[in-house]
Amino acid sequence: MKKKLAGAVAVAATAALLLTGCGAGNEAKASSNSVVIDMWAGSADDTAALNAQLKIAKEANPGLDISLRSAPWGDYFTKMTTNMASGNMACISGMNSGMLSSYTAGFDELTPADLKTAGLSESDFAPGSLDILKNKGKLYGVPFDIATMLVYYNADLLKKAGAPTPKDGWSFDDFENTAKAATKNGKFGFAMGMGDFQWQALPIAKSGTQPAKADGTLDLTNPAFADAASWYASLVTEKKVAAPVASASDTGWGETQYSGGNAAMAVDGTWNAVSYLKNDAGFTAGMAALPTGAKGSLGLILGSGFGIAKGCANKEAALKVLGSLLGKKAQDYIASSGRSYPARVESQPLYFESIDAKYRAQVKSVFTDAFKQVEGQHVSDNWSKVGTYIQPNLVSVYNGQDSMSKVLQSAQQQFGK
Amino acid sequence: MTTTVHDRRRGALARAESRHALGFVSPALAGLALFTIVPVVLSIVMAFFDWPTFGDRKFVGFDNYIKLFTGSPDFWPALRNTAVFTVLYVPLSVILSLLLALSLHSRIRGRAVLRILFFIPVVTPMVANVLVWKMMLQPQGLFNGLSTSWFGVELPNFLADPQWAMMMVVIMSVWQGLGYNMLIFSAALEQLPESVLEAAKIDGARGLRMLWSVTLPLASPSIFFASIMTMISSLQVFAQPQLLTGGGPGNATQPLVQFIYNQGFKFQDMGLAAAAAWILFAIIIILTALQFGVQKKWVHYEH
Repeated sequence: MKKKLAGAVAVAATAALLLTGCGAGNEAKASSNSVVIDMWAGSADDTAALNAQLKIAKEANPGLDISLRSAPWGDYFTKMTTNMASGNMACISGMNSGMLSSYTAGFDELTPADLKTAGLSESDFAPGSLDILKNKGKLYGVPFDIATMLVYYNADLLKKAGAPTPKDGWSFDDFENTAKAATKNGKFGFAMGMGDFQWQALPIAKSGTQPAKADGTLDLTNPAFADAASWYASLVTEKKVAAPVASASDTGWGETQYSGGNAAMAVDGTWNAVSYLKNDAGFTAGMAALPTGAKGSLGLILGSGFGIAKGCANKEAALKVLGSLLGKKAQDYIASSGRSYPARVESQPLYFESIDAKYRAQVKSVFTDAFKQVEGQHVSDNWSKVGTYIQPNLVSVYNGQDSMSKVLQSAQQQFGK
Repeated sequence: MTTTVHDRRRGALARAESRHALGFVSPALAGLALFTIVPVVLSIVMAFFDWPTFGDRKFVGFDNYIKLFTGSPDFWPALRNTAVFTVLYVPLSVILSLLLALSLHSRIRGRAVLRILFFIPVVTPMVANVLVWKMMLQPQGLFNGLSTSWFGVELPNFLADPQWAMMMVVIMSVWQGLGYNMLIFSAALEQLPESVLEAAKIDGARGLRMLWSVTLPLASPSIFFASIMTMISSLQVFAQPQLLTGGGPGNATQPLVQFIYNQGFKFQDMGLAAAAAWILFAIIIILTALQFGVQKKWVHYEH
């Protein structure tokens, strides 16, 4: 009996050894001249694009053995969580501005010397774009694309309702007028946002303030922002120019209502510009920068990029690869494929060239306008908790069971310490 | 002398045999250790630590449990939601599927087709089920459309109203799980001993009397099994509220498992999540033990 037990223990121990052996194997591999890139990719297209960038990096660094890991967006961050915990993070890991605050612990701070090693210079990138992967003033990564929020409209619905079309430099009154005029025939003028970026964009633009301060303190009850947020909620509760949201699980409510042709306007990121222009429903889509209020039209500059993992065994090689992933050649590729709007200024014109000739002028003027007054997003350490708390409560706000100011207040009380 | 030699030889043989046996079971044993024992032990340990996914872990004793009961604004509501869901769901599901099985037991035409129809929701992916329900329940959906055009009555926004949302989660879950319990009950009803039923008939038992005093007691082991399994799965409910209502509005439909998921994988507080998971485990074990305790009173195993 005792012997059996000893045997079982031995088997378990061997299994454990094998497990830890696997982990050690990976680390040993990382300390040679190999560099692993980890990035999200949700489709065959995404993977092909990543491989094209990998090829560029390989050509630029012939001495290095560069390999790629990828996972779909949602899984990517779950995997990153476990990889961080087990010390298995890829030396070069993709990161997004909205997710960074939960993952800063996994990334090395990038110093000016690091950027120099990578062969990158701040002046190569669009103004404000290095704020994208900064947290509390520390730089954790360099962006490959930049984005901001826009108002998208359904030109066919607006025309049918006789509503004025949004224009560059339009005001919040113009916005309300268009929304009111387009609310008829069972369609709504606007669709409420449920995602953090989608619902906060208009309140931020109207108030000129963010719901968090640059030092990372939560500022949801800031009167200017709270007032603007209450105004936003009143679009559905009082002015009735938007449909009440059906469920807290409809996290993309505004966007689906808009692309389904049920609402004439919605707020979404520049990253969806091309897919809205070529929408399946077949309506003529248009876009405009966020409306202008008393304090201008403050927008957030968002985007994704690459950072270097903390504890990366060969940081110098990783920096070199980072440099070529964000170099002109790779950025030109991203821009000319029309996948996203590149962070590198000299590559940006190629993006507009990739767009259908009939939309090109509009996209170019709206993008130029929208990126005029942008700043990096300020977030608190527990930002994802704040978002997770607020989102299901927005449903109550939009359905008139709770007030926006009360929800913001209770979020501030819970998470503002 | 001879006996000892014999014994020793047999002992050696047995030892060799048990070594071989160990060799054969070791893959299964390793799998069990790796995927069951290690995670279970780890989660016990985790519950006593401040265990962020990255960074320093700190032993905190019972702090996670204390925090759950006194400091977490979502824990009590999650516990309440799970309780409400279970209290509503288990009796509804068991009674309705039993009625369904009974009515499909008599030799009516097309009962095979009906059984398949009722079983379809069980094998359909939950995501698809939820999508269809959402399309019916939302303000621009089927129900409100019919109600406003036929009766001119505006229905509530079912999934966004704190009271209605939980009702809808329960109703949708009952619809979804009905087929499974129905199948168990149907199988039990088909297997009832003919001799007992015949004897009851000869004694003049008919209709409700037959059902209440003969059929149900005979089928009680399956009813017991179904109610225990249904209770356990309803205490672990996650997919329906997550997909149908997102736990909202507010936290009105967030069950315990969604709370655990949020703590662990959204907020990266593994310690708190593990502690909450062990509380759920304790609840399930206690309730299951209670059910086993009272089964003597109503479950009949003699055939």
